Amino acid sequence: MSAARTLDWLLLLPSLLLLALLMGLPLAAMLATSLQPNVLLSFTGPALDNYSYLLSRGYYLQVIWRTLRMAGETTLFAIPLGYLAAMLLRNLSGRAGNLAIMGLTFPILAGPLTVVLGWMALLADGGPFLGPLVEAGLISPPRLLGSEAGVVISLVQFVLPFTVLTLYTGLRQIQPQMHEAAQSLGASGTARFLHVTLPLSLPSVLSATIITFSLAASSFISPHYLGGAGQLTLTTLVSQFIMATFNAELAAAAAGLLLLLMLASVVVITAVIGRFVRP
Amino acid sequence: MKMFGKLAGGLYLVLLYLFVAGPLLFVIATSFNPATSFPARFEGLTLSWYAAILQRPEFLSAAGTSALVAALASTVAVLVAFLAAYALSRRSGGAGGRGAMATLLASPLLVPQVVISLAILQLASAWGVGTGFWGLVAAHAVYVMPFALRLILTGLARFDFAVEEASRSLGGGWLATWREVTLPLLRPSLVAGFTFCFILSFVNLPLSLFLTGPDTATLPIVMFAYIESRIDPMIAAVASLIVLAAGTATILLDRFLHVRLVD
Repeated sequence: MSAARTLDWLLLLPSLLLLALLMGLPLAAMLATSLQPNVLLSFTGPALDNYSYLLSRGYYLQVIWRTLRMAGETTLFAIPLGYLAAMLLRNLSGRAGNLAIMGLTFPILAGPLTVVLGWMALLADGGPFLGPLVEAGLISPPRLLGSEAGVVISLVQFVLPFTVLTLYTGLRQIQPQMHEAAQSLGASGTARFLHVTLPLSLPSVLSATIITFSLAASSFISPHYLGGAGQLTLTTLVSQFIMATFNAELAAAAAGLLLLLMLASVVVITAVIGRFVRP
Repeated sequence: MKMFGKLAGGLYLVLLYLFVAGPLLFVIATSFNPATSFPARFEGLTLSWYAAILQRPEFLSAAGTSALVAALASTVAVLVAFLAAYALSRRSGGAGGRGAMATLLASPLLVPQVVISLAILQLASAWGVGTGFWGLVAAHAVYVMPFALRLILTGLARFDFAVEEASRSLGGGWLATWREVTLPLLRPSLVAGFTFCFILSFVNLPLSLFLTGPDTATLPIVMFAYIESRIDPMIAAVASLIVLAAGTATILLDRFLHVRLVD
């Protein structure tokens, strides 16, 4: 038995080493960098001055708040939209179900960069979608490019496949006998949903919420191309610090803040939704 | 009433899929449009934007770099993920808390890719070295590993470890058992793991953001630089080719190996 345990640890060793060397160590180096003085701020490091600088300026507080707000808005749209889709997809089987799942993995594999190209055209006031509506005088130019709404629309589209696939997996694990039992006890469709499906699916709603929020908060491509300089989020702020103002220390601090905020959000989401999950 | 519900459900799904796939379909359509601006009205059909790619050697060499990075990163990821998944799935108990270990190994998924890129850049500069090609491979490998782990764990869930005992009781050593029994049976999920990792790495921009130089630019980085200055249908043609490759791989995996990202 102990020989088997040793073998297990040996087999796990390469992946743990990969994680430690290629993620743990770099993140430690990044956090160390974030505590150092730089061209903008002189202090004797290691100290938290870079963090207090970012947290004391209205401009950066806006960036932080925007990051969390956009991720929150994206999650609030994606979870109900995705839940309904997962409920409908659950009933598909065989070829149709297969195609439906493949259709969802497809945008993930095509990559967000190619998808965002499409959004840059579709969200443009003179684009093929909005252009005719504007010309016909049906709507005033919505100016979605460079707006928060534009970024959130594309973020919802970007996260939806992940949201739906997570919820779908969870919903498929609920045994059909549960519904049959509820039905035979005379529960109506609404009652079956409220008292059987919904409570049993809450663990997957929890993981879908965490995945959706994290993906939205860590997204770079959508805010970069569709938000631009007027809609900076923490990820695009990090890239600005590196590529435009060449301040590695503030970039590290902004990245550290993003990690911290994402961790805090996961804790909050788990606490809020976890209260409803029956043990 | 029931009929109406079914119709409404179907309509909802159609709209949702249009929303999810719409931008991609539009990019593909644009790549055949002869108009030189983007976005533009459709003026006909042409393949000239695809021919134009051939005039831009930086796209071709970047595609080569991306393929090499993706191949190396996916190989590392599948190797270590397979060993870990095997340990986590064995009936003999496994090391420590199985769920906790699987969660730990999936943790790169929750770290923003821009942050992984920055962290590797700053580790290299702390050591006083350039990141170079291997920094790029490192970032991609650690990011795709959880995807390989997930697919291989799914494959192992259907694997009956009793066949290994059978092989050993027939005199097969553990190496022979792995080579002749375990690996062939797990081949579909290993191939699928590699393919998905390869594609995810190939199309990824943020992981490479701070790690590429003039000689190590990946395809998404070259596209990124191109889009900063101008957008024309040629970039849509590049994107369409990527979509075509990703789509073909997905369909082949589904057809021949019956493997999907989700069961």
